Order: sequence, then structure tokens, then C-alpha cells
Amino acid sequence: MDHNKQQETTHKPVKRKEMSRRQFLSYTLGGAGAFMAGGAILPMIRFAVDPILQKKEKAGFVKVIEESKVTNEPTEVKFKIHQVDGWYESDPKLAAWITKDESGKIFALSPVCKHLGCMVSWGGEEAPNEYHCPCHGARYTKDGKNLKVAPKPLDEYEVKTENGWVYLGPIDPNSRV
Amino acid sequence: MAHKHDPNEKIVFIGDSRVRKRDYSNVTPPDYTAFPGKSEAFIPNFLLKEWMVGVVVLIGFLVLVIAEPAPLGYPADPLNSAFIPMPDWYFLFLYQLLKYPYASGDFIVLGVLGLSGIPFIALLLAPFLDTGKERRFYRRPIASSLMIVSLVAVVYLTWVSWAHYQHELEATGTVPEHIEREIKAEEAVAKGLPRPIPGKEKIPAMVAADDPAFTETMTQAACIACHGAELEGGGGPALRGIGDVLSKDEIVQTITNGKGDGAMPAFKENLSAEQIDQIATWLSKQKAEAAE
Amino acid sequence: MFKNMYNWIDERLDITPMWRDIADHEVPEHVNPAHHFSAFVYCFGGLTFFITVIQILSGMFLTMYYVPDIINAYYSVDYLQHQVAFGAIVRGMHHWGASLVIVMMFLHTLRVFFTGSYKAPREMNWVVGMLIFFVMLGLGFTGYLLPWDNKAYYATKVGLEIAGAVPFLGDYIKELMNGGTIVGAQTLTRFFAIHVFFLPGALLALLAGHFFMIRKQGISGPL
Repeated sequence: MDHNKQQETTHKPVKRKEMSRRQFLSYTLGGAGAFMAGGAILPMIRFAVDPILQKKEKAGFVKVIEESKVTNEPTEVKFKIHQVDGWYESDPKLAAWITKDESGKIFALSPVCKHLGCMVSWGGEEAPNEYHCPCHGARYTKDGKNLKVAPKPLDEYEVKTENGWVYLGPIDPNSRV
Repeated sequence: MAHKHDPNEKIVFIGDSRVRKRDYSNVTPPDYTAFPGKSEAFIPNFLLKEWMVGVVVLIGFLVLVIAEPAPLGYPADPLNSAFIPMPDWYFLFLYQLLKYPYASGDFIVLGVLGLSGIPFIALLLAPFLDTGKERRFYRRPIASSLMIVSLVAVVYLTWVSWAHYQHELEATGTVPEHIEREIKAEEAVAKGLPRPIPGKEKIPAMVAADDPAFTETMTQAACIACHGAELEGGGGPALRGIGDVLSKDEIVQTITNGKGDGAMPAFKENLSAEQIDQIATWLSKQKAEAAE
Repeated sequence: MFKNMYNWIDERLDITPMWRDIADHEVPEHVNPAHHFSAFVYCFGGLTFFITVIQILSGMFLTMYYVPDIINAYYSVDYLQHQVAFGAIVRGMHHWGASLVIVMMFLHTLRVFFTGSYKAPREMNWVVGMLIFFVMLGLGFTGYLLPWDNKAYYATKVGLEIAGAVPFLGDYIKELMNGGTIVGAQTLTRFFAIHVFFLPGALLALLAGHFFMIRKQGISGPL
């Protein structure tokens, strides 16, 4: 350690209270450098982080199925939404499992497994009366409650019924469990 | 590697010679005592002066960038024969040079290799061509005069090329695409419409598509050959939403007498006035509002 | 704390001499604009580098939004310019910076030429500098195509016709640059790769050589 001290003292031979000319120049240099770097880079940073600052548009509701066709047994529906992703506009397909509960209320679950994002499906030989995920065997009840493997219940679509048709909206966390 | 322990040596590595303390004590920096005047340290003294210039340049640059947005025209269309090609300004001199008869056509090889290639190679090898000791430009007349002549030529060619481009724009009545586009965007925004994106304009749906004016008369008259089976456009413009652009009378006028020096043919021979009126009535109903 | 960290690294890698050499070398008076105003002509090299750094940075940021595909290229440029905050500024920097870098480099070249600074022993540095000039022109040419608007498309077509006029090899050069027989999808990806990876890589290597040589040889003396 002593040789470092020795080196420092050789660079700063006299220690006075006021700023030395060299120090002043160094600070000005730092200021000019910071100005140049900031002037050039700050607009670029704002440009890069724009996606997190852009206003999120809530997805609208999409007409999917007639109300009368929804039963106590979950039914799979597939529907298209209009998605604007930057310069790319597309109509990706989404799926939902729609069920009517005991009180007659209609709810729709998203089939995206909360474990690692595979697609779950209802019933089948392996898991009658449960949602079953083929990837790691996660199971959910009819209400989407997680029984095995998955850490959270299945997400739910916002549901609206109008003139005998069911409309699905944005995806929210499960409210039934 | 001697293993004597020198107290001034910063680190002593034992058994590994990959990282070695080098002795800088006898490396003398380039000697500037031969140069007159005061010299100063690079950091911070000299670099500060350079960066002051840098700050001024940056401010000027940002002002330019904010004042003048980068141009963007319409999407590339290989069939657009009206477009006047224009390289970036620093290639203009080359572009202009290759227009001259002794640099193009049968002489293109001379133009590309002789007039462009050789000067560039000469520039690349300048220190080996101009080998004299003298550095002042007025003491080496050949090199300097060649450079000055080339500079004048480059400036002149660039200017001629640019003037010619401006002249052509004027002669053909063309507004450069990026300017036209900005104007259109401003107009649309002023009207409260969304900013139009060229090539992605939404064509309104057809109104009353089962009208006999369309299904019979227009099909017979082969309107769809140019305007598209769904009137979505093709060789001719899209006709959906035409009611927003032209009035019924204007449509009658267009069908009867044609438009654009026969680009749209006159149909007064092939269609009766009654048929034209029928079509025009139907077309004037094609409004974006009605289509929704 | 920084001092301790620095010392820790310095003990192991002995970095002090590297930056001390750059920081402490003396700069003579005849290139110092504070002493002679006319010495501002010696700033053009540094300014070229400054604008080049801006070009590299803005280019890196632009590729966050740009796609080199003939269907989407134009729309991604349109999107980043009009829909993304500061998009017009960042694209403007890259667009105008391209011109400015050519101007600065041109002035720097003229300064070196008319002060005869390329003479022995600095011949190699001149050659490297001219190669940088050509790389920059190449960057300008390939970058011009990327927005895929009419101006880009037709300028590239003309440029490739000129390349095609080179005797014997012309057709091969043209087809190679086209990535086929037409200016199209493959041309765009090719130009993108050249503009974003190949030429900048070459540029950085050449710049390193340029700076190494000027540090080694020192600045040329006064006239």
C-alpha cells in the first residue's frame, strides 16, 4: 500500500484549500464531456424506453359465442382479436374456456397454464372434470383453482353479455378462487 | 527475468511472465522542444479546447436535427416511372460525371475506371506519388494544383447535378415525395383525421355492392379491369370511398370524357348517358361514412 | 472507494501507464486553437470521430425498431419516426450525422493534404485514413437503401448499374451486391448486414489503426 501513497503524493505535491488550475480544468472538461454525452445519448435513451411509457390501450370486447350455448361443462371457444404491434397489425387467435356456474353466471378462463405457459384443456381421460396441462401435469378445478404444480389459478377474461351473445374482454387475474 | 527485489517495482510476479511490469522510465515522450511556442498536456488542457469546439458543433447539430426532420418518401414502388432518381448529395458529382458522353455509353469503362477509379486510387496512394520533402502546398505545385482542379470539378459537378434535378422537378411539376407526404399528413391532421401512412390507407368497404349499376353495368364496361374486382384499385385508383373525393357531376365528367390524357379512357362511345348517370349515382354513394 | 477499486485493478494489471501516456502527452502550440485561431482546422479529425460516435450510438438505437424486410422496413421507419418519442430526433441524428461526418472527414482530408502531413513517416496513416473515407462512403451508400422508400430504391438501382459497368467483373459485382438479379428482398438484407456489421467492424479496426499511428508518430510539426 505504501508505494501507492508514494505515487499519489508525487502527483499532488502541494495540497492547498483552493482549487488548482488543473482541477478546475478537469472539472470543466468533465462538464463539457457530460454535456456532449448527455446531449447525444439522452434522446436515444428516451427513444429506447418509449414502449414502457406509451399509453396502453385496453383491449376491446369481442363477440364469441351465443349465451344459450354455454353450459355447466367448460366449452372451448376460439376468437380473433385485432392487435396493433408497432408497425405490424394482425388478427391473432385466442382461446377461452367458457362455463356457466351454479348461479348462472358466465365466466371464461384463459387456457394459458400459470406454471410455464403451455395450453391447458378440460377433461380427457387423464383428468376428468379438471383442467389438465400436458407439459408438467398441472391441474385446475372448473373455477381455475390450481391443484397441482401451478403456483396461481388460471386467468380470467372479462365477460359481458349483450343481446344473447357473450363478449370477452381483457385478461385479468382470477377472481373466483 | 531477474528476480531481484526492487522496492520501486510495483508488483513482483513470481513464476509467471505473462504480466510484467514494464519500465517506462527511459521511454521519452515525443520531443516537441523542436516546435516553437508553448505545448500543453492533452488532458485536461488541450482536450478541453477541443471539447469546447465539440460542444458548439453538437448544439448546431441538434438545432439542425430538430428543425429539419429526416426525409421519408413513399414506399419503394418498382413500377413508378415518374420518380426522378437522386443519390445522396456526396455521390452527386459521380452521378453527374457518368452522364457525360465520354463517361457513359460506349465509354462507360473510361468513365467508371478512368475518371472515377484512377483519381480515387491516386488519392489513396498520394504519399507515394508526392514523395518530396516539402510540405507547404505552394511549394509542391503539381500535387496541389491537381487537388484544387479536382475540388473545383467536384463542386461544379455537384452543383450542375443539383441544378439539373431542381430544373427537372420544376419541368415535371413534381414535388419531392417526402415534402408532398408531409403536406398531406399536415392536412389530414388539421382535418382531425389520423396521420395517413402511405400504402396502408384503409379503403372503405363497398356500399350497396349488389346494385345492378355495379354488378351489371360496370362489369360490362370493364371498369374492374383497372379499378379492381372489388374496386380496390390496381392500374387505376381505388373507387371505394370515391364519393368523398368527387361529386356526382365530376364522376359523370370523368367517365364521359376520361382523365389524365387517356389513362382513364372516355366511355361516351361505349355507355349511354343513362348508364353513366346510373354508375355515377352509385359511385357517389361510395363514402367512407356510409360504409361503416 | 473508487480510488481503492482503481488501486486494486492497477496492482494487478498495471493500467496507469496506458492512460498516463494518452493523458500526459504534450500537444504543441501550432495545433491549439486557443493560441492560433487558424488552428481550428486541426479540430476536424476529432469532430469526425465525435460524429462517428453519434452515428454508431444512434444506429444502435435505431435497430431496436427497424426491420430489414421489404414489406415492413418502410413501415417500421415510419413508425419509429412518427410514433416513438424522440424518434424524429434519433433518426434525424443518424440522417444528418451521415452527411456531417462526410463533410468533417472531407475537411480533415483537405487539412492533411494541404499541410502535407501525409508525408514520410506518416504515409501509412494517410492510406488508412483514405480507407476510412471509402468505408464511410460505403456506409452512406448502403444506409441510403434501408428506409426502402422510392428515393432509396432508385438511388440503389442507379448505384448498382454503375458498379455493373466495371469491365469483366461488373456483372458479378452487381449480382453479388444485389443478392440476386433484382433490387429486392435479398438486396435489403444484404445491405443491412453490410451497413450494420461488416463496414462498422472494418471502420473500428481502421480507426484503431489510425489512432494508434497518430499516438505513435505524434502530430506533424508546424509548417
